[in-house]
Amino acid sequence: MAAHLHLSSPFSTGLPLKSPRRPRRIPSRSSLPAPVSARSASRPLRAAVIGGGPAGASAAEALAGGGVETYLIERSPAGSKPCGGAIPLCMLDEFSIPAHLVDRRVTGMRILSPSNLAVDFSRSFRPGEHIPMLRREVLDAFLRSRAQSRGAHLLPGLFTSLEPPSSLSSGEPYLIHYTSSPAPGTLAGTPSTLAVDVVVGADGANSRVARSVSAGTYSSAIAFQERIRLPPEKMAHYEDLAEIYVGSDVSPDFYGWVFPKCDHVAVGTGTVMSKPEIKKYQAGIRARVWSKIAGGEVIKVEAHPIPEHPRPRRVVGRVALVGDAAGYVTKCSGEGIYFAAKSGRMCGEAIARIWNDNSKDVVTEEELKREYLRKWDREYLWMFRFLDLLQRVFYGSNAAKEALVELCGDEYVQRMTFESYLYKRMAVGDWRKDLGLVWRTVGSLAKAGIMGKEVERLRTLAEC
Amino acid sequence: MAMALLSPLLPTFSSSSPNLSQKVHRPLLPKKRSSLSLTRCTGNGAGKVGSASVEEKLEGKKEESIPLESEEKLPLESPDSNGAAVKAVVPTFNDPRWIGGTWDLKQFEKDGKTDWDAVIDAEVRRRKWLEDNPEASNNEEPVIFDTSIIPWWPWVKRFHLPEAELLNGRAAMIGFFMAYFVDSLTGIGLVDQMGNFFCKTLLLIAVAGVLLIRRNEDIDTLKKLIEETTFYDKQWQATWQEDETPSVSKKE
Repeated sequence: MAAHLHLSSPFSTGLPLKSPRRPRRIPSRSSLPAPVSARSASRPLRAAVIGGGPAGASAAEALAGGGVETYLIERSPAGSKPCGGAIPLCMLDEFSIPAHLVDRRVTGMRILSPSNLAVDFSRSFRPGEHIPMLRREVLDAFLRSRAQSRGAHLLPGLFTSLEPPSSLSSGEPYLIHYTSSPAPGTLAGTPSTLAVDVVVGADGANSRVARSVSAGTYSSAIAFQERIRLPPEKMAHYEDLAEIYVGSDVSPDFYGWVFPKCDHVAVGTGTVMSKPEIKKYQAGIRARVWSKIAGGEVIKVEAHPIPEHPRPRRVVGRVALVGDAAGYVTKCSGEGIYFAAKSGRMCGEAIARIWNDNSKDVVTEEELKREYLRKWDREYLWMFRFLDLLQRVFYGSNAAKEALVELCGDEYVQRMTFESYLYKRMAVGDWRKDLGLVWRTVGSLAKAGIMGKEVERLRTLAEC
Repeated sequence: MAMALLSPLLPTFSSSSPNLSQKVHRPLLPKKRSSLSLTRCTGNGAGKVGSASVEEKLEGKKEESIPLESEEKLPLESPDSNGAAVKAVVPTFNDPRWIGGTWDLKQFEKDGKTDWDAVIDAEVRRRKWLEDNPEASNNEEPVIFDTSIIPWWPWVKRFHLPEAELLNGRAAMIGFFMAYFVDSLTGIGLVDQMGNFFCKTLLLIAVAGVLLIRRNEDIDTLKKLIEETTFYDKQWQATWQEDETPSVSKKE
């Protein structure tokens, strides 16, 4: 159970542009050069990655590392986005993230039920195990600069539209129209065009790439978060502790959270069902943590959409979507940073592999699907399905949420959860313990269900 | 053509339509562009709201009117939030039998034994009260009461007796016939079945089935759950749907 509102979207470092080569820019459509074939012996594959979040930066890194001429287009310099900023432990190794980027190492995780039963969810942490928390602006900037050092060209600018070739099979290029960021001191950016063979859309929940290739839409949840700087004595409580609150006062279908950030805490909540009432739920989470945050100072308010399910089409022609643009955010925990970075890397590696193995002249939709989507689904589909089921079973009502918290106190549940969360692999348990767990789950749900029914009965009695 | 390629499985299950959010968002687009020159954050995560995070907001317009964006001190006394309705004074749950975050079981004693039924009743009332008046959690007096404190038999009693009767009867019949069929099909006797993994699984399924499917409506609820789950799966599979007609997408 961890944290997570993350959402990849094009934010950039604000680092000076260091691209060694200028990309091929076409000033206007009227002066287009003759279409170039997608493959010629002299020229490597050209790829554009739209969006410089974890997904885009990882894709660019993998592409550039695979010998592809890569352009990373990102909209705006360092902003932070509303994001829990928690990543699974295995991501540090897998993506070689240096330890100094980690602001906090959360070793305590507490989950509180609607009746305020608090359960320490992290008792089963082994020595050294923790949940790394970092700031997205720091992580994103690091991943981007690493992609650049691998040879990707960073283009600060706003992607505006994508012009598909008249025929996909001919190997004509896609034309990317974007407004490059204005130089310091000037107001207007310059409209520019870039011709590429493959496009990776990593531009987040409101993906323009997805829209321009009619990849379909998904329903989204909204996450709302306030960053609050606490007085030192209150901050001490959240030194290495994250709190999760469930209950209908906090969110009808998700949870509210308090996550420690570098020098403050993030207090927030999310919902799919009743987005217009997000303010009410934010007031709810504030009220629930009141005694712990009173006297704090709100330094920032953020809200962001979170995808609820994958897009209807994740690969269209030679355009592949990754991260939030593809809808890779888990249910239940709402985690997305790892999946964004991982999908970006998988997609980038797939494209480089297709290109390097390919004797033909083009990268086709079928190849992208086979090398990227098929592998992704095989690896992670079960996890998304499972978390979706958990969300349906446990986030439905207050009674179920009580049962969830009780179960979270179970040693075996904790071990299996963290095994899966921290290392992103299916934890294989002992089947006897699994059966016992099923039994306890049914028991807890039944008991909480009885309570829930009685509460309902009291309510109807009171109304009569 | 592009429209025709759209998968039939556009999301429909959520109560909130994605179109709505698109509509809200669209008017903001030109703004995004114009604010490009303004976006530069302090970068240490503690800065004031950068326009980058504001413009990304789903409901940007609404958010921008919140006074919170200027620094706001949270008052010490009571929660109050952005004009949302929260009572000025939060009442707390009070019951003489609720001591130190749990029910004082001594006060529930009747004839030398704990009256668990009364404990359940008291907890039900507390939970209803908390639903109506969510209470701030605090570190000084954590809640430690959970349902495992109450032994299993008061819970069983809570099922209406006729219902328990029905469930028992069903479980016995299903158990008997399953044992009979397994025996007749495989030749494994009842005693041996007890030591057999497959038979234990069957037993578990039977018990779970009897507990979960108590009346016909339960089947509907379960069906709904399964449907919703398969719907999510279909959303994942949607991208593969056009595989049957790959030529269409290629020859645009």
